[in-house]
Amino acid sequence: MAKLSEAFLPNRTLDRKTTGFIVVFWVVATFAVWLTMPFKTLPMPGDIWRALGALWWERGMGPQLFTTLRLIAHATALTVALSLLLSYLTVIPFFRPLVEGLSKLRFLGFTGLVFPFTLVTGGGYALKVALLTFGMATFFVTSMAQIVVEIPRVQFDHMRVLGAGEVRILWEVVVRGTLDRALDVLRQNVAMGWAMITTVEGISRAEGGIGALLLDENRHFLLAEVYAILFVILVLGLALDYAMGVLTNLLCPHAHLGRVTR
Amino acid sequence: MSASDGEVLLDVSKVRLTLGGHLVLENISFQVHDRIRTGEITGQVIALLGPSGVGKTRLLRIIAGLDAADSGTVRGQKGAALPAGTVGYVFQDYPLLHHRTVKANLELAGTIAGMSKGESAARAKLLMETFNLSDRASFYPAFLSGGQRQRVAIAQQIMRPRQLVLMDEPFSGLDPAALGHVMKLVQEVAHLDELNTVVLVTHDIRAALAVSDTVHMLGRFRKDGKIVPGACVRETYDMVDRGLAWRTGVQELPEFVALEHEIASKFHDL
Repeated sequence: MAKLSEAFLPNRTLDRKTTGFIVVFWVVATFAVWLTMPFKTLPMPGDIWRALGALWWERGMGPQLFTTLRLIAHATALTVALSLLLSYLTVIPFFRPLVEGLSKLRFLGFTGLVFPFTLVTGGGYALKVALLTFGMATFFVTSMAQIVVEIPRVQFDHMRVLGAGEVRILWEVVVRGTLDRALDVLRQNVAMGWAMITTVEGISRAEGGIGALLLDENRHFLLAEVYAILFVILVLGLALDYAMGVLTNLLCPHAHLGRVTR
Repeated sequence: MSASDGEVLLDVSKVRLTLGGHLVLENISFQVHDRIRTGEITGQVIALLGPSGVGKTRLLRIIAGLDAADSGTVRGQKGAALPAGTVGYVFQDYPLLHHRTVKANLELAGTIAGMSKGESAARAKLLMETFNLSDRASFYPAFLSGGQRQRVAIAQQIMRPRQLVLMDEPFSGLDPAALGHVMKLVQEVAHLDELNTVVLVTHDIRAALAVSDTVHMLGRFRKDGKIVPGACVRETYDMVDRGLAWRTGVQELPEFVALEHEIASKFHDL
């Protein structure tokens, strides 16, 4: 184990054992603060654990989770397809203003959009998919279009001197060449979509979902249940993030090679 | 051993280029002839020598068909036009496709050139052996050293049979051992075929003189101490006529050292 004093110096790299020790320290510190805090109205870990059991076995949390996961998967698939298509279209000058304009829509909130989206989708599940896709895609397009714009000109010239046509260049340099970064952006966007889930499911609660369940418990001020649901949302979010990381490593084994570990 | 000049392999004629209203190249003209040596396969190595910022890379891009000149022409063998893709170009930073391994980078160049997958794989294998890259076949570019990247970049450009290969600053930032290796590599690429030509741009006078059969010195004129915009070919040194081409240990010869000093003294005024 590296000297622990190294952990307090800037730009040091620590071994796994020391890093593990620091993680354990912070986990223990967090629980110590939690268990000793003076606000008795906030639930303790045991209360949350019991609430989680009740939610799962008595309140049908499992099916609600499935509803939510189906929604996020559906919206993510649509986001990926739409955003990548729009981002790659930025190589064609005619489409650049369109993509630029769409990316600016990220500043709009959901509130004023529910009505027009309801008219178009008819409400319910389709409305939630549309809203979530809108929320994720506007950010995805912004990031991906920037990545495509920043591809150095020499990458295109390199392919041209090899004799490649423009479609081949688009495929190799723009699509395959940015796949690792696209997956990174997607990873961030899935996290954003997951964070938006409560808002979106709250707009149309008829189909249920973990977000709707959370809002119901919150309305009745059932804090142990609220934190139990938040705990599930956090764990599933981390699991999704981890899965995205594994997917990136599988599809783009070169992705981590050029990155500096500090 | 007798040497003579054969057909014209590259004809750069009156090339002029302005960028943002500033004149960069003015009336650049030179020809590359086939150097013929009895009993020897002799390719051509042409150095475009000049200080940084004089427009060497711009000229190379025009020859490669990547940029258009304002006026003037660039023609290949038998007066053929040279659109992008017909001329090999090894860029200064050796760009490679980062998502493909060394082997896959080479094979891609082959399939783009119209080879079948089998032909491309066989040619890639041969070039990896030639350039001492066989043990790096499965490596991604991020894991290669600068020298290895350079060799892959050169190999990629000659995956398809090409008789004109351009190299942008191939000697830049190399230690003495690596420099010697790259100089040897440049000559090997050139002498693979009688009609092969390597045109390289560099500001390394010694390396340019040692590796080339012809050196064109690019520069601008001065008037009243001020630089007159627009680089042109200021001097041409025929290393064959001077008896300094194709010789091992040429850098130790007094004539070579004298020429190097002569060019260095002129370099400051370019």
